[in-house]
Amino acid sequence: MATAVDDSRATGSWRAVRRRLLAVWRRSLQVRTVFITLGLSSLAILVIGLYISFSVASNLFQDQRSRVLEASNNATAAAQLILDSSDAADRGSLQLLMKATLDTVTSIAGTNDVALFRDPEAAPSTNAPPDRLSPDLAGVISPELRAQVQQHTERQYWQSVALENSSGGTDPGIVVGSVLQVPAGAGRYELYIGYNLAEAERTLAFMQVTGTVGALALLALLSAITLVVVRGVIEPIRTTASTSRRLAAGDLNVRIPERGEDELASLAASFNGMADSLRERIRELAELSVMQQRFVSDVSHELRTPLTTIRLAGDVLYGQREDFAGPTARTVELLHTQTERFERLLADLLEISRYDAGSVTLTTEPTNLVHLAGDVIESMNGLARERGSELRLEAPGGHLDAEVDPRRIRRIVTNLLGNAIEHGEGRPIVVAVDSNATAIALSVRDYGLGMSPEAAERVFDRFWRADPSRVRTIGGTGLGLAISLEDAVAHGGRLDVWSRPEQGSVFRLTLPRSTHVGGEPAGPGAVVPPLPLEPDDPGAAGPPPTASVGAILPDDDREVHDA
Amino acid sequence: MTSRVLVVDDDTALAEMIGIVLRTEGFDPVFCGDGPSALAAFRETRPDLVLLDLMLPGMDGIEVCARIRAESGTPIIMLTAKSDTADVVKGLESGADDYMVKPFNPKELVARIRTRLRPTPESSVETYAVGDLTIDAAGHEVRRGDERISLTPLEFDLLLTLASKPQQVFTREMLLEQVWGYHYKADTRLVNVHVQRLRAKVEHDPDNPRIVMTVRGVGYRAGATT
Repeated sequence: MATAVDDSRATGSWRAVRRRLLAVWRRSLQVRTVFITLGLSSLAILVIGLYISFSVASNLFQDQRSRVLEASNNATAAAQLILDSSDAADRGSLQLLMKATLDTVTSIAGTNDVALFRDPEAAPSTNAPPDRLSPDLAGVISPELRAQVQQHTERQYWQSVALENSSGGTDPGIVVGSVLQVPAGAGRYELYIGYNLAEAERTLAFMQVTGTVGALALLALLSAITLVVVRGVIEPIRTTASTSRRLAAGDLNVRIPERGEDELASLAASFNGMADSLRERIRELAELSVMQQRFVSDVSHELRTPLTTIRLAGDVLYGQREDFAGPTARTVELLHTQTERFERLLADLLEISRYDAGSVTLTTEPTNLVHLAGDVIESMNGLARERGSELRLEAPGGHLDAEVDPRRIRRIVTNLLGNAIEHGEGRPIVVAVDSNATAIALSVRDYGLGMSPEAAERVFDRFWRADPSRVRTIGGTGLGLAISLEDAVAHGGRLDVWSRPEQGSVFRLTLPRSTHVGGEPAGPGAVVPPLPLEPDDPGAAGPPPTASVGAILPDDDREVHDA
Repeated sequence: MTSRVLVVDDDTALAEMIGIVLRTEGFDPVFCGDGPSALAAFRETRPDLVLLDLMLPGMDGIEVCARIRAESGTPIIMLTAKSDTADVVKGLESGADDYMVKPFNPKELVARIRTRLRPTPESSVETYAVGDLTIDAAGHEVRRGDERISLTPLEFDLLLTLASKPQQVFTREMLLEQVWGYHYKADTRLVNVHVQRLRAKVEHDPDNPRIVMTVRGVGYRAGATT
């Protein structure tokens, strides 16, 4: 069991190492280039080295062999000359002759390894000198060689052999066989001369070692060169990469230092050119946007003075509408309501333009959201009753003073309630307030028309209408939710929507309890909404009946410390 | 007695329309079209109230407001197209009692003007004491010992409201309703700015108030009698 665990651990760590290496391989062009260069040049050097080694070895061997054959030929010829010119006839003189002949052979051939065998098929003779065999040649002369030598007496034959050396190993060698005619009826003798090629092999080995060392040094050098060259290319690329990252992050003033006139310099130059034109474009757009925002703001303001006159005139007429004939009275009424609508539209437009210009400042003060929601409900009760909707407030938490801009929060709640009443189909509407350690949330739930999820996604878009054919009865401007969203975001909070067709909608406002957490404005991700967005009764036609409609529950004990 | 209202606005159509509305409501409107002549018109006509457009040719409405306030406590209501924080606060700080954002309706305009012109409500008590101040409700006077402190009618109303119920803490909303006559949510900056202006006149050390005390998170109350 333990072993298995260790094994799996080992496998795991090996896998981790492998993954890391693979990651390095994938991520670092430098590593990859160096390794590829190293691999390919190793292969090339290996092939070239092997070729050189083999051809040198083969040349060396052929050279040695021809020298050996020549020496052996000379020795054999000299030996035959001695034998032919001799007149020895008895056993003793023949032996002396044989000895002299072998001395000549060893001196001319330059080796002491000599063997001499009498033709096994010759008739036995008492005069014939005995066979001779140097100890080094024992067992290396193959029967095949001897057979060839015995058959073709005019030629030399050779064979590669392994000769034992003094250190107990073997050296490469060549044995050359030929035939001598010994006088005085002794007949043919096979002469074998052995040459040790250890010297040549040492030369070859030395050359191979030198070659290998050279190849390794070359590889190391190549790696170093590749590293340096790649670094020379990679560094500017890295600089470019980090510079473009900073550029992308919004630092429009970063540039790559341009050095020289090479390809990298032209890359740097074109990158810098791109950054310049980008900055220029952004500046132009920003100016254009500022101009446009100022224009919208100016237009809204300029429209206000004549609108005031129209408003005053319309209202004066409206106050006297009973004195007018039917159509004129109706005209005055239309003038009155549409002036009001125009005014609301203008106000919303101005508010949006303020957000677009980023000139919104919050005037925060400690505000109790439950009381605020209660106030808004009270002010909207009349409208709700007209539509048959009952407004309820449920506040399990949130009885604390949050640092918010009450004017904006009131506007959000009013807007959400207005929408709920308009689309609530006369069913009850539940306003819930709750809080946790970091955030406070307010949700408005209606059981009315609802929207498809696609529509819900666009509900905060400016001038967007879920159903263009549906008549606006309460007279929203189409900017309400867009402004509410901006208001929520300005507080570091968020505004979310849940909606299903025929099941109603939930709009949830979540605000951090203080707009500034640790000096930094709290981001929308910093708050955990204390209320769920999705209702637990999605299919219900209305909230469960409660005895305490609109009741405000007493403070939780967790709020005690927060006053 | 008809109250005279000086309308300072460069838009003649709006000025004329405001004039029509005011005349219908029984006021006596007089007009002035630019900043520099506004002060002369003010001195000449001695109006009971000034309606002042913030954006005027020649001299900025805020400047005009400050100059009028320097020589008189006459109520000033600013008319502004911008409800942005900076502008409104600047106007209030330079002495305007109230402001109206364009476009407004005639009822609103008349209600604001009437509130500023209404007489201080009769009270059973003649004098109140706050800190080392004596407030003479009937005589519209505030004294520190023998020294008379000059307050605008609005500042007097504010101080009197606080002093009349020394035990009570007034929220900004309550003050907006009782002093400014707003019956719905209004801009609480009105209260903040005017409390500052009042303190600058009545406190020994405005940074360490003894007369108009702040109750943090709630509002204001009158300081204890000394």
